[in-house]
Amino acid sequence: MTTISKEHSDRLYWLGRYTERAFTTLRTIQKLYDKMLDKSKGYADYLKCFGLYDSYGSNEAFINSFLYDGSNANSVAYSLERAYDNGIVLREEISTHSLSFLQLAKDSLAKSELSKNTRLSLLPLEDQLYAFWGCLNEYIYNDEIRNIIYIGKTIERLDLYIRMAYPFDTTQKEYIRLMKNLERAPKGTPYRYNTANYSELVKIMENEDGYKQNSEKVIGCLEHLFEPLEVTV
Amino acid sequence: MTQQNIEQFTKAVGNANEINELLRRYGVKFGIYKNGVFNEQFFPFDPIPRVIASEDFKSIEKGLVQRVNALNEFLFDIYHEKNIVRDGIIPENFIYISKGYLAQCEGITPPNRIYSHISGIDLVQAKDGEWYILEDNLRIPSGASYPLIARELTRIAAPEAFSENEIVDNRNYAQLLKETMEYTNCGGIRAILTPGRYNAAYFEHSYLAEHTGSVLVQNDELFVEDNILYHRTYSGGKTRIGVLYRRIADEYLDPLNFLPESLIGIPNLMEVYRSGNVGIINAPGNGVADDKGIYYFVPKMIKYYLGEDPILKNAPTYLPFYEEDMKYVMDNLEKLVIKDVAEAGGYGVVFGRELTKEKLEEFRRTIIAEPRRFIAQEVIDFLDLPILDNGETVMRKADLRAFVLSGETTRVWASGLTRFSRNPDSFVVNSSQGGGFKDTWVLK
Ligand SMILES: Nc1ncnc2c1ncn2[C@@H]1O[C@H](COP(=O)(O)OP(=O)(O)OP(=O)(O)O)[C@@H](O)[C@H]1O
Ligand SMILES: [Mg+2]
Repeated sequence: MTTISKEHSDRLYWLGRYTERAFTTLRTIQKLYDKMLDKSKGYADYLKCFGLYDSYGSNEAFINSFLYDGSNANSVAYSLERAYDNGIVLREEISTHSLSFLQLAKDSLAKSELSKNTRLSLLPLEDQLYAFWGCLNEYIYNDEIRNIIYIGKTIERLDLYIRMAYPFDTTQKEYIRLMKNLERAPKGTPYRYNTANYSELVKIMENEDGYKQNSEKVIGCLEHLFEPLEVTV
Repeated sequence: MTQQNIEQFTKAVGNANEINELLRRYGVKFGIYKNGVFNEQFFPFDPIPRVIASEDFKSIEKGLVQRVNALNEFLFDIYHEKNIVRDGIIPENFIYISKGYLAQCEGITPPNRIYSHISGIDLVQAKDGEWYILEDNLRIPSGASYPLIARELTRIAAPEAFSENEIVDNRNYAQLLKETMEYTNCGGIRAILTPGRYNAAYFEHSYLAEHTGSVLVQNDELFVEDNILYHRTYSGGKTRIGVLYRRIADEYLDPLNFLPESLIGIPNLMEVYRSGNVGIINAPGNGVADDKGIYYFVPKMIKYYLGEDPILKNAPTYLPFYEEDMKYVMDNLEKLVIKDVAEAGGYGVVFGRELTKEKLEEFRRTIIAEPRRFIAQEVIDFLDLPILDNGETVMRKADLRAFVLSGETTRVWASGLTRFSRNPDSFVVNSSQGGGFKDTWVLK
């Protein structure tokens, strides 16, 4: 008994994107945290990657904002909240079980803010996000539904990796993943658009030189590959 | 199960924390608007169950089946011949001035003649053990999902309670609901229509969709074409809907037939329904039968349609509409509970004893001016149940909403939603008024 509406497919896509954004941001911040042990303003390069202005002044202020500040649209807290917002209206597709891991992740993040050892307190959060992805695989029997979430997830990851100037071979692996996901989408669904952006993306990602010279373009192509509307309730 | 068993159980659970922790994890929330702002709250759960002995439940069960069958007969009659009015059992005027009566439903016969597929009947048990019906909810009674998930979680948090006691498993609710939906299915998928995430019972809508394998939909995903109801798919296709368990009120269901300003309805849905191309659960128009004024007549309906004596009692009720009752109400106002027939959710329920002299007089005048708007009832001194409050057991008022499902047969779910007041001085148990809930155990 499956029939997927436009509204739900958009939600599925954004669930994938925001969960991935929370996850990759979390992992990046942990790396930065390590770097900051030896360096003041160890986050400067990170801000530059995203074209963000440094209004933080200290390592601590940066960490606090990018982990816990729900009003910072680049924080883990913000992404988790958006992921949950999308997840909560997809209960019957993704299962109560999967959804519970987003609730747990939100709770862990809130606990972490009160904790004395930030790195240690973030471990359960990372585990819960892994569990969330495991749960999706376990409980979603409809490949079409799972695939839409994965398309969102992979596009988000590619976008972040490219902005953070990840090496070509790492980025290319994610790109190949995306291509496989897109091929899995049934013909006639919005995720099978064979657009100009798609062709351009394929051309640029063919080799390392193309990637290095055109990363901005890749980001643009990804953004407009298809345009699921973000639903705000 | 004795009181001692209950205390043992309470010890086994330790305190309410573990289960409430689990309920939180699984997102068991309900929404509430306060001063125009939407908030999601976790529904406070008390781990000490309400326990109903097997014999006691058997008689409640019989009484509920009888009552719901009579109410279904009544609805068919009202929207067709109206024999009960013609035979002088219910004054005509009580039908037509009821807000729940919908002229648009005249002559419609729903699939299998069932109007109330899911009935939520509110009961209280008086101190002498007698059960009284307080109210029938035949439109969109909510609450079954809470004890359903609570049972699942209590079995994790306090397994001994279940290995040591003979408790009827209540986790079949979704199955019962699915069968009920299928029985009404006119060909197509099952769908649950929700007004959206900001509805108080959104958790329930999505949880029941998940567990009955139904699609959870909002109105903008649906459309009517050639007198068939469809779900619009993201690839531009359509899927036929055979049965719609709608969780929005009648008046918002179809802007072309009811409130034109409704933004959550589906234009032309009523035509599809009238043609027998979709089952709607519960049937539109049911409000005429769960009207607080009509409640007074339910025991008479049972006699009239089934030729049986009612098994379950109504709370003694007076209709100021009748002269004799008006006199009684005026003479005894300070000891009665007065209900505005147009209200629900615990609003418009007033206990005479809580009013000041001035308020009482003012109320008296309102009742005289609008006798049809109110009913009065004797206050039933119903049982207090033990509640854990910061590790201590305290006694609080609690009622029971039983769920009756009508499909091929009429069945009572062997459980129910026990709601309690958290305020020691209050009889009002509604969640919107800060109440909590308990699981309801029926013993084997
Ligand atoms: N006759 C009565 N004696 C004692 N308490 C009563 C009586 N009638 C109502 N109450 C209390 O008030 C509460 C609300 O009453 P009732 O169910 O009639 O109102 P409601 O507004 O329809 O609420 P809901 O639809 O949410 O059940 C009951 O659950 C009960 O606790
Ligand atoms: Mg009630």
